[in-house]
Amino acid sequence: MTDDRVLFDNVSRFYGEVLGVNRVTLSIPPGITSLVGPNGSGKTTLMNLMSGLVRPTRGQIRVLGIPPDDPQRLCRTLGYSTQFDAFPRGLTGYQSVAYFLRLFGFDQAKCDRLATAAIERLRMGEAANRKVAGYSKGMRQRIKLAMAIAHDPRVLVLDEPLNGLDPLVRSETIALFREYAADGRHVIVSSHVLHEVDQISDQVILLSNGYVVAEGQIQGVRGEIQDHPMQVLIRSSRPSMLASKMFEQDHVVEARLVEDGTAVLIKTRDANRFYRALNHLALDGIDIEGVAPVDDNVNSVYEYLIGGEGSR
Amino acid sequence: MISNEMNASWPSQIAAVIRLELMKSFFARRGLWIYILAFGPALLYLIHAIDVTRDHEHRQAMVAAHPVSTGALHLVRQGMTQKEVEELLGEPYLKNDFTRSGRRRRGQEFSIYQYTDGDSDFTFYIIDGEVADIREQDRCNLAKDSAIFATVFQFFYLRLAVFFGCVGIFTNLFRGEMLDKSLHFYLLAPMRRELLLAGKYLAGLSAAVVIFTLGTALQIAALSWHFEPGQVTAYMHGRGWHDIIAYLAVTALACAGYGSIFLAAGLLFRNPILPATVVMLWESINIFLPATLKKISVIYYLQALCPVVAAPEADTPALLKLLISSADFPPAWLAIAGLLIVMAAVLSLAAMRARRLEINYGTE
Repeated sequence: MTDDRVLFDNVSRFYGEVLGVNRVTLSIPPGITSLVGPNGSGKTTLMNLMSGLVRPTRGQIRVLGIPPDDPQRLCRTLGYSTQFDAFPRGLTGYQSVAYFLRLFGFDQAKCDRLATAAIERLRMGEAANRKVAGYSKGMRQRIKLAMAIAHDPRVLVLDEPLNGLDPLVRSETIALFREYAADGRHVIVSSHVLHEVDQISDQVILLSNGYVVAEGQIQGVRGEIQDHPMQVLIRSSRPSMLASKMFEQDHVVEARLVEDGTAVLIKTRDANRFYRALNHLALDGIDIEGVAPVDDNVNSVYEYLIGGEGSR
Repeated sequence: MISNEMNASWPSQIAAVIRLELMKSFFARRGLWIYILAFGPALLYLIHAIDVTRDHEHRQAMVAAHPVSTGALHLVRQGMTQKEVEELLGEPYLKNDFTRSGRRRRGQEFSIYQYTDGDSDFTFYIIDGEVADIREQDRCNLAKDSAIFATVFQFFYLRLAVFFGCVGIFTNLFRGEMLDKSLHFYLLAPMRRELLLAGKYLAGLSAAVVIFTLGTALQIAALSWHFEPGQVTAYMHGRGWHDIIAYLAVTALACAGYGSIFLAAGLLFRNPILPATVVMLWESINIFLPATLKKISVIYYLQALCPVVAAPEADTPALLKLLISSADFPPAWLAIAGLLIVMAAVLSLAAMRARRLEINYGTE
């Protein structure tokens, strides 16, 4: 029964005197689960714990019945796209995925087949033979995702997986998550962007200061999100044009040039319409180099939700 | 089924780690100083060989212009007159005459005569018409160069070049990836941490052995390059091959021994410079340690395996003589066994640490 779940039983993790997570008890079913919380709330620690990269100070963890200190079994079941952007020096995107698969003990032909499939899945075929060191943030993100899915794991753990992705790849990646979830797998995603959470999650685990303060279905969170504008930073070679076009949209409450005029900060009340509008502008020929949510206001939503729970 | 697959895959997992590590770091620019350490001595020997060859050619030219027999050169004694020397040996190929101007020896006539038989240089110091001193400078010979090589090999190459080379190669296998924040690449693969440790150790060992045994081989080649082919052939038919193989084996064992220590240091310490300094001090004072403690070191076993004992020359300082003096070294088989035991103990400790290894890049 519990072998189809990711279980945390009263798990705590301290880094010396510093709290990572405390007394976490969770039972995560298949589907897309978002770990939500501001920076430093314990999302990454929770992910590192379930993937065996760090060990609990106390408590017990099981991933589909496998303890994380058994990497031989765990890492065949779990794929983890970490927040760390570093890859072994000198490798191309393709080599990063293929060599990672070689560590599984697969033969060369199988590694080639799986690496090619994963890279194609993330639409990185054209850039696969270039050195990772020359990749943009979005490309590195996609190679990390390719490494996480290449061995066809039952549990996908993804730390801020949509960061740095352009709108088209973002929607394709979300579709990939949904496909995995529909197949009865676990997709555990961390995010501090409530809009993303709303868009992709079946359930949410809300973290604050190392504690789980709420967990459950997404609907309860959604109503709160709509009252709070979302902020997005867009890099473009024509930022002024982008800003003026965006400001014509009625859901955009603010558009201003930032970072020496190389980027535009947009504040919108409707994320769905914002992304649709951005796609249209991209199709009209406005060059979009990168999109990154910088939602400072999200903290106020967390505060509201956390305060509303009354647990802390 | 999965268990069988996991068990069957460990050799290919180790091979994958080795391949990846070698690809990443074999020709990395950040390792340039290791190549300089490994090949620098060979370059010095080569310069020495070129110098000796030119010197030999110069002597041959001098002996052709000023022929003199070795026997006649050995007949010269202190107290012989300048005229007697010239009658016996003829004109020197180099002659310098001085008149001293100091307070005590003002007006003293001083001459330096240099002769050569093609192999050795003879210098006669003649004061006021009489031979006052005789110096004979041998041309390099294999026995002499072999003793010099033994000293340089044990006291520079093993203790410094191989030692620090291994610090650079092995401490970075884990610590470097912690600093690069790329160690999770390995830790997210389904392999036992002990296998990862073994793969990284073997990769480091392969690199170190190739670099430093090649360095040793090049030193030997450079050192013997200026000798007559006949001399080299005779040496090789004697104990030459034995010595060369022994030096290469000792170099490889040094890489294995120091490599195990610094691999463990890279896992156990955030700053490996501190343990490297402690190990270096420990290895340096090895000669002063009681017999039991001596055995907990690498250099003790390596010195026992060196084919030529590094013998101190007469004018060597007393402290250095003490360091060079051969202690009661164990026989070769015991030295190899002892070294393997030290390595196994250190690698076991490293394996225990690797099993508990966590990613904590933030604190690095």
